[in-house]
Amino acid sequence: MRNTWFFIRKESLESLRSYHLLIIAIVFIIFGIEGPLMAKLTPDILKMASSSSFTIKMPDPTSIDAWQQYYKNMTQIGIFVLVVIFSGTVSGEVSRGTLVNLVTKGLSRYSIIIAKYFVAYMQWCFAILITFLINWAYTAYYFPDNKTPNVWSGMSLLIIFGLMFVAVTIFGSTLSNSNYMGFLTAVVVFIILTLLNLFKEFKHYNPIALVTDNMSLIKGTKQIDTIMPAIWITIVSSIVIIYLAILILNKKRL
Amino acid sequence: MALLELHDVKKSFGDKQVLKGLNFEVPEGSIFGFVGENGAGKTTTMKMILGLETIDSGNILIDGTKVHYGNSNINREIEYLPDVPEYYGYMNPTEYLTLCGQLTGIPKRDLPNKIVKMLKTVDLPINKRRIHGFSRGMKQRLGIAQALLNSPRLLICDEPTSALDPIGRSEFLSLLASLKGKTTIIFSTHILNDVERISDRVGILHDGILKANDSLDNLKQQYAKSQIIFEFESNALAQRANQIIGPKSILKQRKVILNYEDDYHTNAESALKLLLKNHLVPISMKSQETSLEDIFMEVTS
Amino acid sequence: MNNTDIFMNNLPLFIPLILLEVILDVAALVHIFRHKNYRVGNRLLWVLLTLLFNPIGAILYFIIGRETY
Repeated sequence: MRNTWFFIRKESLESLRSYHLLIIAIVFIIFGIEGPLMAKLTPDILKMASSSSFTIKMPDPTSIDAWQQYYKNMTQIGIFVLVVIFSGTVSGEVSRGTLVNLVTKGLSRYSIIIAKYFVAYMQWCFAILITFLINWAYTAYYFPDNKTPNVWSGMSLLIIFGLMFVAVTIFGSTLSNSNYMGFLTAVVVFIILTLLNLFKEFKHYNPIALVTDNMSLIKGTKQIDTIMPAIWITIVSSIVIIYLAILILNKKRL
Repeated sequence: MALLELHDVKKSFGDKQVLKGLNFEVPEGSIFGFVGENGAGKTTTMKMILGLETIDSGNILIDGTKVHYGNSNINREIEYLPDVPEYYGYMNPTEYLTLCGQLTGIPKRDLPNKIVKMLKTVDLPINKRRIHGFSRGMKQRLGIAQALLNSPRLLICDEPTSALDPIGRSEFLSLLASLKGKTTIIFSTHILNDVERISDRVGILHDGILKANDSLDNLKQQYAKSQIIFEFESNALAQRANQIIGPKSILKQRKVILNYEDDYHTNAESALKLLLKNHLVPISMKSQETSLEDIFMEVTS
Repeated sequence: MNNTDIFMNNLPLFIPLILLEVILDVAALVHIFRHKNYRVGNRLLWVLLTLLFNPIGAILYFIIGRETY
């Protein structure tokens, strides 16, 4: 357990020195500002685009537009940026041979996976939260309405989804020595889950609900109870996936 | 008592059987030179001892405990210096050694001093310069530092001198020699000079088995091939000398090589007497002792 | 309402956005010029991408172009 902690510190230093943390901070602050900005600008842009002879009556933007932009950015680009960053975390070390020294010194292989998972997940949470807080502050300033009462519940689903999505990326990264395998695995899993959503019976259990139902949750049109099964499946499957990743690394030649 | 024992260890890669039943023991405190051609299986053997490679059949025991693939419980007493050590380039040596020290369980309060001492021992600068700018030689010296930091009982070095310049090599060998008695060392190499300089035991790996495994002196006796070499001014003179000295000599252009057993003095004296009686005066004469290279050639041919 | 108005009306949003993109670009350019080798591509490619595609070029550089060690 002590060694897991030492390796967590190594992973954190790596994230800092390899600029990963810097990229995450800047990218996700940009996303945070972009949500309210797009919500505010859209009517103006449309006005400019239409000819002056027509005056389109645009509804004023609300907090819903700002949050919609946030979830669009996060679930279509944001989480994939993160997955790209985490993609080579195991494969890179295995292909370069940097683990040999440490493993012969008594570092357990499960410590490697758990530490990498933990640090990657912390970065995931940092990214989600920083965007959320910025978006929240601007939204409260520009759109002080009460159309989005449950802002926290939508965001917390992204946090929970990360448990599984980061696990899938780490798992993919242990599969091969290619630095893109983690990313590919995550994308394939995402596509499969999206396809599964076509079957109505699966919807309650499908983890993908955690990145598709956010808006209905924060508007209050959907209650969190309805997707509780999907949340539990997400949490349980992350544990299983991380366990599998450890089994694979145990068998792997370093 | 033997610190390391290998019993009938076999290993195949695909169809190719690399190790065909390897048996040897390394007594505690000795320096074991592990010699063999490229691809003979030296690195594989070392990785199996470290639990980094699967064992097809047979047993490897360290201090009486069986080695399992992927298991690192007993590894804290063993250190490994790979042929090309890989590090985290974004760290400086102190940070890397700190991580190593933490993983091997060196107490927190001893660690900084130990690291400074070790960096001085291997002659690396103590500053913030990061590892990714290091030369091969500097990386090799950092490799020595990480391996010796925890004063291991067993040190396994894979071709440790191959990346070092002559001075660095010499320093490294003295460093290894200074550990004699405290640390059991296994080191593989194809530079036979290095083995002769510091090993007290030599193992020659050839054709999947250990063809020879003994102290250097015993091997020399066993494979003794003492020679006296006479050199003459011309081929014709050498030819005559060869006829005179008799059946135990070999002609090689202007040289006559005399193989002998037992004592140098009596053999040399009688040969010289014969030559002088026939007015054959060699321009040079030297006695050649058996070298590890001769033994290696004989064992592997 | 013209472009300048839109910009001036939303200063609290635009200023940090522009500032961040400048920081990211400068960081990327400094890193590109301080290193000779890249995992993918060459110096010219990364300088152009960073300058022309804001902020994607700089992000791509840090994620896939930068040499890892």
